[in-house]
Amino acid sequence: MNLSAATGSASVAAARYQSSATCEVIDGCITCGDTAVEMEIVRIDHARELALCECDAGRETVEIALVAPVAVGDRLLVHAGTAIAHLGREEAA
Amino acid sequence: MRFVDEFRDAELGRAVSARILSLVEPGEHYKLMEVCGGHTHSIYKYGIDDLLPENVELVHGPGCPVCVIPMGRVDDGMAIARQDGVIFTCFGDMMRVPGSEQTFLEAKAEGADIRMVYSPLDALRLAKANPDRKVVFFAIGFETTAPSTALTLKRAKAEGIENFLCMCNHVTIVPPLRALLDSPDMRLDGFIGPGHVSTVVGVRPFEFIPADYGKPLVTSGFEPLDILHSIEMILEQIADGRCELENQYKRVVPYEGNVAALKVMSEVFELRPHFEWRGLGFISQSALRLSDAYADFDAELHYEVPGVRVADPKACQCGEVLKGVIKPWECKVFGTACTPEHAIGTCMVSPEGACAAYYNYGRFAREKELV
Repeated sequence: MNLSAATGSASVAAARYQSSATCEVIDGCITCGDTAVEMEIVRIDHARELALCECDAGRETVEIALVAPVAVGDRLLVHAGTAIAHLGREEAA
Repeated sequence: MRFVDEFRDAELGRAVSARILSLVEPGEHYKLMEVCGGHTHSIYKYGIDDLLPENVELVHGPGCPVCVIPMGRVDDGMAIARQDGVIFTCFGDMMRVPGSEQTFLEAKAEGADIRMVYSPLDALRLAKANPDRKVVFFAIGFETTAPSTALTLKRAKAEGIENFLCMCNHVTIVPPLRALLDSPDMRLDGFIGPGHVSTVVGVRPFEFIPADYGKPLVTSGFEPLDILHSIEMILEQIADGRCELENQYKRVVPYEGNVAALKVMSEVFELRPHFEWRGLGFISQSALRLSDAYADFDAELHYEVPGVRVADPKACQCGEVLKGVIKPWECKVFGTACTPEHAIGTCMVSPEGACAAYYNYGRFAREKELV
């Protein structure tokens, strides 16, 4: 399974940065600041330690080596394409 | 959304704000530093400073990784970006940071192959797709970002990708905090500790602040109620005569941090003897370089870089802003010669920089205040 081909991992970035030339990135810099976003796992490629994750801004491929083991539906704290914390699972409403 | 809605509850916010008011002594002045640029941004975005009593002042710390990159390092990166056969990659907000002559964005406009990436993994993908070119990743960031670079380098090594190189500018948060605390023009009463850096390093490395310097530190989340609650916890410590390290962001930050991340970082990086920070000067053991095991991926060993120290523009007072000595609007060029569109200093370039955050949100409140 090729997750990167399936999603285009830059989609989140593109949404956030398309206006960066005029500095209208008003939600802070998620790429390189001390800011991370919460995302939910949609699909996992265990062999390559990558997961397809989703948040309101879109989907991206995320490194999961630092938070393994994970399962589909888990919520991760993602920074610069890498999950740095496991936040558990979204409980059903 | 879980972890968001409940931390933006206006009624709870007012209650915490009232509690903060009850904790401060009239006539006393409380100066608290938020270390992290993400906190600075939240404070302005949600108008948190408007909910605080007048004698509680928030000072913006050095926690924006873009803001602390000195011009000389941008010039070094530029020298690599201009080499034949190089695809130079960096994060979006690094593109607009001025070097001594131009920004990466301007160099790109002149024909250099400089591309914006969202993660180091994207840069590695570019390397795989362009085997006849060298792809250089300009790595910046605190310990939050360093694991991402480390994992990518491990991946490159495991997959035998030889055309991927990294110019490492990763910095560490503790040495500049110590430098700030040792600075004679600094008077602070407490710290709002960084949230996501602590996700990686844990809260233990910050124990020296209450222990050695007698200042309370509360590790904080990024939602408005997180920050208000952290301020309340700091003021409560001061009111009780306590001085401790507390963790408000327990739902995300474990005491020990992310052990797997620390392990991969120690494998791929080693400490530089010293590194220059914009506005703060040289700070020993405050940055990372690639370890000997990853020397083959080190762009600084592969290419000749000028390595020249470039003084900051005279008009720019980023250094004083980073040290919290002046407020962004007190800088001589704030909002006039230096704006997000034409930034002179790095604090205006990065959306997390104190000046940019203030320019985007705070200046309107300031204008109202002055009328």
